[in-house]
Amino acid sequence: MGRKRGKRAARKVGFWRRWSGLLWKLALVGLVLLAALTIYLDAVVQEKFSGKRWAVPAKVFARPLELYAGQKLSRDDFITELSALGYRSVNSISQPGQMSAASGRVDVYTRGFQSFEGSEPAQRISVRFNGQQVSGLSGSGDLVMARLEPLMIGGIYPAHNEDRILVRLDQAPAYLVEALVAVEDREYFQHFGVSPKGIARAAYVNLVAGGVVQGGSTLTQQLVKNFYLNSDRSLIRKGTEAIMAVLLELHYSKEEILEAYLNEVFLGQDGRRAVHGFGLASQYYFAQPLHELELHQVALLVGMVKGPSLYNPRRQPERVKKRRDLVIQMLEEQGVITSEQAQAAIERPLDVTVRGSMADTSYPAFMDLIKRQLREDYKDEDLTSEGLRIFTSFDPLLQLKAEKAVETAFKRLGERAGSEMEAAMVVTGAQTGEVLALVGGRNPRFSGFNRALDAARPIGSLVKPAVFLTALEQPQRYSLITPVDDSPITLPAERGKTWSPQNYSRESHGLVPLHEALSRSYNQATVRLGVDIGVDKVLNTVERMGVRHRWPAYPAMLLGSGAMTPLQVTDMYQTLASGGFNTPLRAIRHVLTADGEQLRRYPFEIEQRFDSATIYLMQEGLSRVMAEGTGRSAYNQIPSSIRLAGKTGTTNDLRDSWFAGFSDDLLAVSWLGRDDNGQTRLTGATGALQVWSAFMAQAHPRSLSEVPPEGIVYAWVDRLTGEGSDPSCPDTVQAPFREGYQPLPGPGCRPLIDTEPVKEGAGRVMDVIRGWLQ
Amino acid sequence: MDTKRIGLLVGCMMVLAGCAGSGGSIPVVDSGRPVSNEDMQSGAGIPTQTPAPAQQPEDSGVVVLVPDGEGGSSAIESYPLDSAPVSSQPSGSAPTSSGSGSGNLQDDEQLDGPVLALLTSARQQESSGDLNSASASLERALRIAPREPQVLYRLAQVRLDQGDAAQAEQLARRGLSYAAGRPALQAGLWGLVADARERQGDAEGAAQARQRAKVSL
Repeated sequence: MGRKRGKRAARKVGFWRRWSGLLWKLALVGLVLLAALTIYLDAVVQEKFSGKRWAVPAKVFARPLELYAGQKLSRDDFITELSALGYRSVNSISQPGQMSAASGRVDVYTRGFQSFEGSEPAQRISVRFNGQQVSGLSGSGDLVMARLEPLMIGGIYPAHNEDRILVRLDQAPAYLVEALVAVEDREYFQHFGVSPKGIARAAYVNLVAGGVVQGGSTLTQQLVKNFYLNSDRSLIRKGTEAIMAVLLELHYSKEEILEAYLNEVFLGQDGRRAVHGFGLASQYYFAQPLHELELHQVALLVGMVKGPSLYNPRRQPERVKKRRDLVIQMLEEQGVITSEQAQAAIERPLDVTVRGSMADTSYPAFMDLIKRQLREDYKDEDLTSEGLRIFTSFDPLLQLKAEKAVETAFKRLGERAGSEMEAAMVVTGAQTGEVLALVGGRNPRFSGFNRALDAARPIGSLVKPAVFLTALEQPQRYSLITPVDDSPITLPAERGKTWSPQNYSRESHGLVPLHEALSRSYNQATVRLGVDIGVDKVLNTVERMGVRHRWPAYPAMLLGSGAMTPLQVTDMYQTLASGGFNTPLRAIRHVLTADGEQLRRYPFEIEQRFDSATIYLMQEGLSRVMAEGTGRSAYNQIPSSIRLAGKTGTTNDLRDSWFAGFSDDLLAVSWLGRDDNGQTRLTGATGALQVWSAFMAQAHPRSLSEVPPEGIVYAWVDRLTGEGSDPSCPDTVQAPFREGYQPLPGPGCRPLIDTEPVKEGAGRVMDVIRGWLQ
Repeated sequence: MDTKRIGLLVGCMMVLAGCAGSGGSIPVVDSGRPVSNEDMQSGAGIPTQTPAPAQQPEDSGVVVLVPDGEGGSSAIESYPLDSAPVSSQPSGSAPTSSGSGSGNLQDDEQLDGPVLALLTSARQQESSGDLNSASASLERALRIAPREPQVLYRLAQVRLDQGDAAQAEQLARRGLSYAAGRPALQAGLWGLVADARERQGDAEGAAQARQRAKVSL
């Protein structure tokens, strides 16, 4: 046998001699090429893995809900907020993210968060309610106040729309790693990047099944594929993938690779946004932070890795349930969990939220405003990749109420609304100038034309406060009770025409007190007043109130033929609501970097434009609009004890229906109209005021302050004539005046007490005074 | 917590001692005027006739805002309000002045739990040099009590320290619009307006504001 072989070998020697040299050379070249490729791939692997691994879109948050005794917040609203934040209802709270609601009391274990001015701890608190108020707060120690973490309301996505929330491995909930390894790569902790055993098993399974049913890819290979390579299935790519997987394992620990995997894996599609990583998936499907997830939720997500669209829990609940239970069983088989745990988990429902509560499409109007403000200060690239955290003033509870108000009003209007009618609404903090809610159209989910920001329409009578404010700034000429003339007036208009404004009722009212001309929105009195003080002055007042316009100084401007957007109207009325201080409307409070560092503040800035005393008179006038004028139907929905101020606006031929008004804490502007500027057949009172009132009725506004500022005095006046009077007279009311310009008191009408001795005394005093004068 | 309580207690004792020693008034550098505890109490917006539950003084620490001459803010005392000496001035004139101020106050103007807590943390952030956080805390307080001139006063001070004199003046003026009937606060706010105007190079305006500060007292 030895010989035989020897002979054969001898025969072949020549062959081998001829070819082996070449083969050796070829092999050498191949080896060199492979080494070069490896070195190149090594550089690729390290470069991308060591730097910033992902472009993380900026995340936008609502305001954190403040909790303290006296806070205006109902139990139901509190639970709404907690539910939106993904808090789970339990009998007794034991870990963050849980709540337990009783009547009049809600216990909650808050999650804690990093805010601009410091960190808010996770803690157990018990919140007691009394009607619309928090009546008490208790927790560990002397708990004075606490905050819930802010709701995420959207993100700023780059063109490829890949979104993720980065998590660290130590934030992974129990069983996540075990389940992932059990399902996707059992030898993960043993292999060196590729798993021959796994490939063999996969090959066998596929052979038996007669097709590709199982991949032999390790977690590392999957990561390499998604992270570095495109998804074609060529053999060369497979080879590259294997080399890179080995290189990755060479340079980085199993834990680091696993962490990257957790953040890279694709887990669903939300419209144009791709949901990557378990961190975001947890929020997207459960509205909870990842580390809070329980076994059955973890199993669901792990099961989805195989095919996120195939196993979409919102679309294919039954298929997903099967897959999830399979994962749970695998964990049981491998002894990771007991059979009791497995059984309990299998009995749980999917627990998936109805829709992505932080989907980009939830609050398109407000997000639009945020994006516009951000783009003034940041490059697009920073917004879409740096993982910035944007904290805003958005109040989801008020937003819900604003949206409901629009919906309710449209229902009430029924036929009259028609299909063409549109709506917009802006809600701000009356004192702070912060935008709290924004409705950009009748369908608040539709992101398209943002009417709150972009629909510039004639504002009609909403301009009138500027006319009356200009008058009241001249206390020597005008007070709230100064008679003004509501009688027909004809003014020259452009190109030789004339202009004769009419009242809405087509009637004139003669001499009326100034406040009545405002509260009843008399056009003729307003035009006369405006012409008296000067149209240019009135238009300047509009600018001082906060709205830059280029309106020509035509008298028609006095009745609001100039156009504004709802946001601009809000700016204008903000100055009235906050005592004469103009505040640029703000929606962003501050920006933190991904690491929680303070990046930028958008501080509260004010500028006094009007004297507080004059504004106080203006507020009094506007509160009469609500009490006895065109706005009074608001009190059909709002308790009459709440003092409010506001103004209706109606434009020519009933095209636009406006209302702007405020309480002590809230300012809201509503608009109804058509995009084609057609007729709505609604006045400000029958249309926009109904939306406004429906909103305010739910928002429980705080009554306007009646504490007068310095420079205001009250005097008794006759309600009918407006002349100085005395409390003893009938039809006498107290009215505020600028100090020094109040009417002299009138004579008393009947003795309140036995006044003889007083009169005697007074007589003596008068004698003395006369003595001085003489 | 314990150290805080001890601090409050010590502060309380110091105030007590100070009052006992100097005849009931704390000397304040601004314009060389003395500010009495009475004025502070009216400034805090709490009626003096509040019954004094002396057994729980640690819950009622009050930050009293007293401007100092540098426009800084070091002269702030913490003391449990209810146990503070009410007798530092002969009673008679004080209750009427504080009564007229606080009698008209709305609920949100009472300086209580959350606002007080935020003023305290703003103070801590400020003393550690973190003006941004201090400002954020004060704005948070302002959202809770938008009409509380003491918050506006503190925010104006922080703005001044941040180098934004124009906003400091505006915030102080806003504080003034809510400070009717609270002379000590008015004086302090006018003092701030004066400082802010000085920083903006408006010497004449500053002098006028200083005059108003004196009149307010």
